[in-house]
Amino acid sequence: MKTSISSDGTSKSKIRLASILFMGLGHIIYLKQYLKGMLFAAIEIIFLFFLPEIVDKIYGLITLGTPNPMVPVLERDNSIFMLIDGVIILAIVAVFLITYVISVKSALSTYHDYCISKELPRNKNFFSNMLGKAFPILGLAPSVILIMFFVVVPLVFSALVAFTNYSAPKNIPPNNTVDWVGFQNFFDMFGGSATWTSALGRVALWTLAWGALATFTCYIGGLIMAVVLHDSKIKIAPVFRAIFVLPYAVPSVVSMLIWQNMLNGRFGIVNRTLMSLGIIHHEIPWLSDPTFAKFTSILMNMWAGFPYFMLLITGTMTSISQDVFEAASIDGANKFQAFRRITLPLVLYQTVPLIIMSFTANINNFGAIFFLTGGNPVVSDTTTTSAGGTDIIVTWIYNLTINLMKYNYASVLAIMVFLVLAPFAIFNFRRTKSFKDGEI
Amino acid sequence: MSRKLVQKINVGVTLLVLIIISFFVLYPLVYVVSAAFSPGSSIASLNIVPFKDGFTIKHFKHLFDETNYVTWFKNTFIIAVCTSSLTIVVCSLSAYVFSRFKFSLKKGMLMSLLILQIFPSFVGMIAIYVILLRMGGLDQLWGLVLVYLAGNIPYNTWLVKSYLDTIPKSIDEAARIDGASNLRIFATVVMPLAKPIITFLGITSFTAPWMDFIFPKLVLRSAEKQTLALGLFGFVTEKKSEFTNFAAGALLVSIPFIIFFVFTQKLLVTSLGGAAVKE
Repeated sequence: MKTSISSDGTSKSKIRLASILFMGLGHIIYLKQYLKGMLFAAIEIIFLFFLPEIVDKIYGLITLGTPNPMVPVLERDNSIFMLIDGVIILAIVAVFLITYVISVKSALSTYHDYCISKELPRNKNFFSNMLGKAFPILGLAPSVILIMFFVVVPLVFSALVAFTNYSAPKNIPPNNTVDWVGFQNFFDMFGGSATWTSALGRVALWTLAWGALATFTCYIGGLIMAVVLHDSKIKIAPVFRAIFVLPYAVPSVVSMLIWQNMLNGRFGIVNRTLMSLGIIHHEIPWLSDPTFAKFTSILMNMWAGFPYFMLLITGTMTSISQDVFEAASIDGANKFQAFRRITLPLVLYQTVPLIIMSFTANINNFGAIFFLTGGNPVVSDTTTTSAGGTDIIVTWIYNLTINLMKYNYASVLAIMVFLVLAPFAIFNFRRTKSFKDGEI
Repeated sequence: MSRKLVQKINVGVTLLVLIIISFFVLYPLVYVVSAAFSPGSSIASLNIVPFKDGFTIKHFKHLFDETNYVTWFKNTFIIAVCTSSLTIVVCSLSAYVFSRFKFSLKKGMLMSLLILQIFPSFVGMIAIYVILLRMGGLDQLWGLVLVYLAGNIPYNTWLVKSYLDTIPKSIDEAARIDGASNLRIFATVVMPLAKPIITFLGITSFTAPWMDFIFPKLVLRSAEKQTLALGLFGFVTEKKSEFTNFAAGALLVSIPFIIFFVFTQKLLVTSLGGAAVKE
């Protein structure tokens, strides 16, 4: 087979130039990989065919439509559709560019092989190679497509919404258009608007406190129960363990709604029982006083959450070798010392990633707040901001989206949640095996 | 002698504390069981002592005859089964690719999966709503399944990949030498070895949709497309207070859950601990 390239590596720039000029060109003219080259070329041709459409959509993303109050509602520019289409098109362009880079790289690597073996790969082998090589692509395709449309595009969309004025009452498509406003929403939230800033400060503080306290109480509760049931001489320990696991088995929607009803100030069973027993004389405002409601939500979360850590810690403790304890008792350590110096450090070390995961999960624990308190009670700024006394950031995002339709502020909050949680995820990731092995 | 006494007192005190805690743990659960069988409708009308109001099964009858409880249950079940089985197929396939193949962008893709799983998926709910609207997936069970499935991929792909990394590659290389194709190796060699993590994945992705509220609320509109969480929530909103009906419905969902949980808890805990700790 004749080819116009030399095998000493000097034709590298020629191939690179051809591949960059048009996708697959290097494969076709120099490397005689016609099928592969055609495939790449076809991708570029399709892309070029749709180019006007693509440019149009990106232009739409930039302008977000022009207000046109004269035409019927359905024919007006829908900024939100334009925004989403723009984001999807951007994603497709990104995939195209990545394919482009891959095609250039593939041409160069084929040439590299040629320089070593002095032989071009035959087209005959292309199909059988393709079947083997296509497996990763086919295997990943469903994941990549789903993630792109239902995870990446929505996330980019909400990040972008934070820079628009997409909010009720003035800027809700299809009646009106939405415009880019730069960092205006961030200014409003961080100092620009007194009501929103104070609400944000209040909710953010409570969210962090909630995350820390909810995790801490569940962990301590679980630890104590695990240790007591593990060490004590009580014969019916398995019975207690079975009882304590029940809250974990009941779906949290169900258990939190049960508690919400039982803790109702006037009609709830808890207050009525306490009053008829003569323990209290006034109703305890479990869910109606801002401070008390915070306390209640942490307590109820502990009710639902301690079994998880109890099970986990029990599992970790049984995996500690008995030899260690024997050695300790020979050295004269008593039970408490053995617990403090052996059990506790080992259990803590093993469960650190889970504590962190639990903290991030609690920051995002929509159900524990929404179904117990619904974010209530109402505080001074609730009517404007829709953030109640026990709302955490995620339930506030929900309220802003569903009730107030202030999508712009909701997106600012979503970005904040990400910025706060990302370091924790990275920390956990750095402990994983594949990271330590240097795989990625 | 006195040492034995101290020990006995110790055991006694521990037992007492455990019994008190058991009381607090069981109290709401017992009360819900009693409410489900009590006449009356709101929580205000119930006696503070469980089971003192008498016994009736009219709330269960009400659920089956006058509400869409069966439909809610069926919908939720369909969603859970589809989500769970699709999650297993999609996640294990991509995890297998990430674990066994070398290709360009692998690092970048793994890294982005890791970053994506930080976000609670409802952050993008407006966009998801619009995308489903344009796909015709609004008010459709499959629309919701797609949303759950996509949300499950980032974290679970990592989870399964980490597990597959611990299975020696020599096993599938031996099969490859025998001439088995990639798909065959995946289905007949690797998957059986990964059974524990697949079971774990199946269980967690099956149970999650039963408790979710936000996405069903967003996606499902019509009365015959509701899920259990939506339906149960509807009994005890600010406008309505049908605590006894709610209790009956809650009881019916919780019982299979508890039974299911008793059978799987050992596996769940070992996988939960193991997956995160040894990753």
